[in-house]
Amino acid sequence: MEKIPKFKYLPDRALNSLVNGLLREYKVCGTIEKDGFPAFGEVSAADELKLTQSPTHLSAKGFLFPQREVLLRFDMRTSAHVPVIEAERQVLFGLHPCDIRALALMDRIFAHGVPDPNYLFRREHTIVIGADCMPDEYCFCESLGTDDVDEGFDLFLHRTGGGYLVRVGSERGSALLEKYARTREPGKAALKELDAANERRRLAFRAKLDAAPEELPAIYAKSDESRVWERIGAICTGCGSCNNVCPTCYCFDVKDEVGASLAEGERVRTWDGCTLEDFAKVAGGHNFRKTRAERLRHRFNRKFRYLSDTFDSLFCVGCGRCSRSCLVKINIADVTNELIRENAGA
Amino acid sequence: MSLYAKMPEHKPEHNEEALSRGMDSPYLPFPGTVERSIRVSEKERFFVVAPSNETLLDYGPGQFFMVGLPGYGEAPISITSGPGEKKIELCIRAVGNLTNAFHRLRKGDRIWIRGPFGRGFDLSALEGRDIVFVAGGIGIVPMRSLLKAVLDKPGRFGRLTLIYGAKTPEEMLFAEEMDGWRRRGLDIQATVDKPDGPWKGHTGLVTALIPKIEMAHMNTVGVIIGPPVMYRFVILSLNARGLGAEDIFVSLERRMKCGVGKCGHCQINSVYVCQCGPVFRLSELKGMPEAF
Repeated sequence: MEKIPKFKYLPDRALNSLVNGLLREYKVCGTIEKDGFPAFGEVSAADELKLTQSPTHLSAKGFLFPQREVLLRFDMRTSAHVPVIEAERQVLFGLHPCDIRALALMDRIFAHGVPDPNYLFRREHTIVIGADCMPDEYCFCESLGTDDVDEGFDLFLHRTGGGYLVRVGSERGSALLEKYARTREPGKAALKELDAANERRRLAFRAKLDAAPEELPAIYAKSDESRVWERIGAICTGCGSCNNVCPTCYCFDVKDEVGASLAEGERVRTWDGCTLEDFAKVAGGHNFRKTRAERLRHRFNRKFRYLSDTFDSLFCVGCGRCSRSCLVKINIADVTNELIRENAGA
Repeated sequence: MSLYAKMPEHKPEHNEEALSRGMDSPYLPFPGTVERSIRVSEKERFFVVAPSNETLLDYGPGQFFMVGLPGYGEAPISITSGPGEKKIELCIRAVGNLTNAFHRLRKGDRIWIRGPFGRGFDLSALEGRDIVFVAGGIGIVPMRSLLKAVLDKPGRFGRLTLIYGAKTPEEMLFAEEMDGWRRRGLDIQATVDKPDGPWKGHTGLVTALIPKIEMAHMNTVGVIIGPPVMYRFVILSLNARGLGAEDIFVSLERRMKCGVGKCGHCQINSVYVCQCGPVFRLSELKGMPEAF
């Protein structure tokens, strides 16, 4: 039997009281306006939260996997090491379906094999409130089936005139809603409006992949020798933006930072990127991915092929951020379609 | 909104809660005490380390540690002592800040170790076979751990040959141990690029020696550890002697930052070298052009 989502209706002013309530208990990170663009940031008052249907340039991954994170503190004199596993009780407010999917993938990565307590502990203290969206010309989640979610959130908000239809995804979400917001049963009009909005959204996707998601690992596997890599490698600037903005890029560097007094220091991890030149270089100087073409091939394969061997899932959620932020307009959907075409021709 | 609106107070750190719940950080190293620090060549120093924690000694040949110093960071370092030994032996080339800091360590100093990590050599896969060990440069460092493990089990393996290439006779490591290895049944063929006066061994590349060694047909395995450029050529030479992808084992060097399959630096296709390797049967690397 198909699961029919149960909705509650949340009027606009009740959203404010929900946010204000959450602010009493949690750090709230949500979509705010930054330099005229929607971005994820810390919210200090309900009116700062600007739920947006437009994609944000950066994902919310930094709130679970910070760009800079302390793993250990050490005393330089005694050389005693203390592990650091820090978390704040936080709410991520306004995540679109692609980002909720990405979070679920990050959860699997950091729990796999040797678990990473730094991520997992922070995740445990994090409440996820999703919000619906409209695609721009880079979004292609619909082609990957990541355009909707039925799990991975505590609450999910759908915009309808004058308020929101709320899907409850967890008991925790249900309790928060009960505690901080007065909801009512949704009227027929609101539910009808939601159907219409979903249809509008479905028709709004312009970027599409020309193959089914389950075909992509095999297509990538046959494309190691494709000339696409040379072509995009020749224009790539190696800036690493695609790695930074990607909600499922989780590679990191680890280094020590010592305080000015030289008495204590920290071992910190920071985001790293496989498209950066030194990423696969070893101490003796040999670089296992010398060219930009090789590094891009690696990155694209990580999204569509390599990790699917272990996790039986693609690691691209179709958010389009890498394409959106690319200085030289390398577009992940276009590249993938080119590989699909090459394979169809072969 | 009032300028004086009171911000809620958050408790930013839950470190104690996490630790009290037994959330172990895989990034926390154990100390070891340097018992000996010996310069063994212009660039390499040999260390004997007494570990503070027994779990560090639970390693097999071919595994590695993440070794660090506060303020300098960590790097993956091969284990050169044999399995079952009570002390950890490391032999480290000075190439950067961290490894140069290792070179300043003296008796009594502390060094910080996590591990052991990865998959080492499966001795049962080598049993009953002739083994050709091919080591280039500091590839002899992890190879020594395997040699010790194999030589400790006399009668379990066939003919044992080590082909060891270095740039110069001075750069040959463990030369003083080699007579002992020979006495225990290891045929050692050493070669250098640039011989000096007293050098009595071979001159030239390791690949030149492979066609000349005695090996039982169809019952020989090869083990290769060396600088990245060496693998392709040695594999071809072993192929020419009839060794296939099932008969060749390699240990791969990669950049690593975590050791626990997360940081991504050591990834080749779907393989994280720090977890699935660093030792691979060559057949496992089929379809991975970036392996070498």
